Amino acid sequence: MKDDVKASLRELVGDANYTDQLIDLIAYSKDGSEHRHRPDAAVWVEDSGQVSEILKLANREKFPVIPRGAGTGLAGLAVAQSGGLIMDMSRMNAIREINIEDRVAVVEPGVVYADLERALEPHGFFFPPDPASGKVCTLGGNVATNAGGIKGAKYGTTKDYVMALEVVLPEGRVIRTGSRCMKTSSGYDLTRLFVGSEGTLGVVTEITLKINPRPPLSATAMATFDDVEAAGRAVSEIMHSGILPSVLELMDREGLRAVNTVTGADFPEVEAILVAETDGYTEEETVYQMKRVVDIFKKNGARSVKRAKSREEAEALWAARKAAGGAFTRINNNLFVEDLSVPMSRVPEALKVISEISGKYDLRIPTVGHAGDGNLHPCISIDARDPDQVRRMHEASAELYEKIVAMGGTLTGEHGIGLAKAPFMSMEHEEGTLALMRSLKRVMDPNNILNPGKMALDG
Amino acid sequence: MRQPYEFEKKFGDQIYRCSSCGFCRAVCPVFGLTSRPALNARGKMLILQEVLEGRAELSEELVDTLFQCTTCANCSVHCPSGVEVPEIIKAVRKDMVGSGTCHPAFAGMKEILDRHTNIYGEDEPEDFGRERNRRAEYVYFIGCVGQYREDEATEETLRLLDRLEVDYTLIDEVCCSGVLEDVGFQMNQDLVDRNVRAILATGAKTVITGCPYCYRTFNNKPRYAALKEAGVRVIHISQFLKDFDWDVRTDKVVTYHDPCDLGRHTGIYEEPRETIRKIAPNFVELPNARAEAVCCGAGGGVRAAFAANSIAMARKRLEEVESVGADVLLTDCNSCLHNLANAKLRRQKFKVFTIAQFLNRLLDEARVRPGAKEVA
Ligand SMILES: Cc1cc2nc3c(=O)[nH]c(=O)nc-3n(C[C@H](O)[C@H](O)[C@H](O)COP(=O)(O)OP(=O)(O)OC[C@H]3O[C@@H](n4cnc5c(N)ncnc54)[C@H](O)[C@@H]3O)c2cc1C
Repeated sequence: MKDDVKASLRELVGDANYTDQLIDLIAYSKDGSEHRHRPDAAVWVEDSGQVSEILKLANREKFPVIPRGAGTGLAGLAVAQSGGLIMDMSRMNAIREINIEDRVAVVEPGVVYADLERALEPHGFFFPPDPASGKVCTLGGNVATNAGGIKGAKYGTTKDYVMALEVVLPEGRVIRTGSRCMKTSSGYDLTRLFVGSEGTLGVVTEITLKINPRPPLSATAMATFDDVEAAGRAVSEIMHSGILPSVLELMDREGLRAVNTVTGADFPEVEAILVAETDGYTEEETVYQMKRVVDIFKKNGARSVKRAKSREEAEALWAARKAAGGAFTRINNNLFVEDLSVPMSRVPEALKVISEISGKYDLRIPTVGHAGDGNLHPCISIDARDPDQVRRMHEASAELYEKIVAMGGTLTGEHGIGLAKAPFMSMEHEEGTLALMRSLKRVMDPNNILNPGKMALDG
Repeated sequence: MRQPYEFEKKFGDQIYRCSSCGFCRAVCPVFGLTSRPALNARGKMLILQEVLEGRAELSEELVDTLFQCTTCANCSVHCPSGVEVPEIIKAVRKDMVGSGTCHPAFAGMKEILDRHTNIYGEDEPEDFGRERNRRAEYVYFIGCVGQYREDEATEETLRLLDRLEVDYTLIDEVCCSGVLEDVGFQMNQDLVDRNVRAILATGAKTVITGCPYCYRTFNNKPRYAALKEAGVRVIHISQFLKDFDWDVRTDKVVTYHDPCDLGRHTGIYEEPRETIRKIAPNFVELPNARAEAVCCGAGGGVRAAFAANSIAMARKRLEEVESVGADVLLTDCNSCLHNLANAKLRRQKFKVFTIAQFLNRLLDEARVRPGAKEVA
């Protein structure tokens, strides 16, 4: 990036909001994935006007602009793969409006998920996606990745809650999409186009979210299984039983083993555990649902089923699953969190594939999953300083994607494509579909300014 | 091939264990203030990874981040990968200083301690009108901040000890010098020897420290092993006070700030609360308390080197105090007291005290209004 361009940027945002210091460039070189490249400069933006001016400058001077929230993305998303400017959205962090009557929250993109949650709590409302990174990730990042979480089966993901957006288009024009009405059939659903677009089509500067009343009661149970497929069958039966558990999480034997070795805990190393939560407004409703879930666990050969009678007991049942994230990262010095999703009925088969691939490539792949919506996270743990392990990891991932896509699954349930899965886009999407995605990108961003290199759009 | 750094031998592996999840963003006080990723633990670990890979040098350019860490350990306590960030930062600072790179404020601190007895370079200690260096059951060790900056709090603490008829003595204390190791230098053996000699000369079996940092230094640094070997126990004032009963109460709304050195670093969460609960039925916790407590911004040399940010961090903590509607903010570290009291805005009407100081005030008021139980 030329010095005069840097000077213009500095002028646009002010000294305090511009940096090209080495420490910032390094800190901005990576997100939660292994992809890494230094940008040439970074700015903290304060409003859509600044975003617009910067994008106009970028089009004149032809430098890439990479919007960035908290940088927790797991697919090589907010990474300046070909240099350029990191546009840090995190100082645009005002909650502009919470309107319970209209059931909406209007936020700036830099608002942290947990901060919105805290603000909604006194009203008895929530924004359900609940990603595990909620303490730090931004709502702009959630929109751009279509983030999900453990409540997907019952409550859906981010896309089900985004009603309207203010977006700055790649050439600098500021537009509004959608409506704050609960229903609208007016025109193309441009809002959905931007949700999950990974910062490649526009910079989101305001988000109108639908918010949900939070059911005050919940019940929790945990079941152990000696057979992964039996656990899978239980999941599938629960999901078509008419009951929608608010949470239905799975962890496999390798996962339990990792938690035990890393934390010194003593969870039974069964083939799989399932943790279920049902929620509701009355105890009767909540317990009724849980009873059905427990019956189905038993019917499908659960070795043991425990139901929590108190909050503490519920926490104990959650302990193994909650420890997984931390424990998996400590098995070795690197963890590649995969994010496959399969149709509900294929969960047992997908688990079998993961276990076969783990054996074939001699890799530890503990797995957790949002079983209730078919979204599995096989986590490949390796020593990244050993080139052979890195090679095996890449080969294993490629085979995994192939098999999952072959059974009607998708490359990513909630983390996105980014750089990590760009090479595999054609595995999942037909040529015509990819061509349409690329034409859209070209029409909206003719100079390929916004987050280039992601989602296989350049090809 | 470059020579391996010292920090690399011990922490090379850990630096790579940072999975760059960014969870430290939620808890780092420096990041909370600046929203600058280069200043939180993930940024620091990425920078160190590049240093280890030879893509960045341990140079002046890194001072702003590697010397701007309060070592409050909020990140390491919450790190899914178990990266011990404060220890890594301290080790890196040693390598930096070793190769001639240092923040001027820290270099200044080292020079001052080469020539003077305390971090302020003031050679006339307050004598608090009490005999020093006499034989006694306890030594009360004040610490630099309590001696030279928060002498009012210290005076009141001593008056409390007098009231309780504790057989204690002050000594000709000098800086424990532990802080030098945090900012890239070695501890000062002369200062260590002077403290050890003075303590042992009193025949005391217990040292009570007013400062949680001195407490950690005496208990954890091998250079002070002579104390343990001589059978001298070192406790913090909050541990000493917890066993007393008080017949004074306040109906004010009281809250408590956990000092990082006392809480996350030492695990002393309960003792201060035991005392507070006895005297303040209207005790409320801050939104972030115990292991979640947000640093006041004073630690790790940040107050000296990055004063404006240090005060701004204290202000953020004080906003939490406002949010719970407290009349009194208690803490148990003179350094926190100093930073928080300095940062307090005029419109913030609550008062800031150490627990001992507040207790002494309650007792004073009870004396002028004999029989009064609801006081202060
Ligand atoms: C430990 C861990 C657990 C996780 N758990 C989950 C989980 O349960 N569910 C889940 O879905 N994800 C999870 N993630 C992934 C990640 O947290 C999500 O993808 C999150 O939505 C990213 O938000 P962010 O603010 O960090 O965005 P970033 O990583 O900064 O950016 C992500 C993408 O969004 C774009 N972007 C950001 N802000 C804007 C904006 N204002 N306008 C346009 N584009 C923008 C960026 O360009 C980038 O392409 C996890 C990550 C970690 C490290």
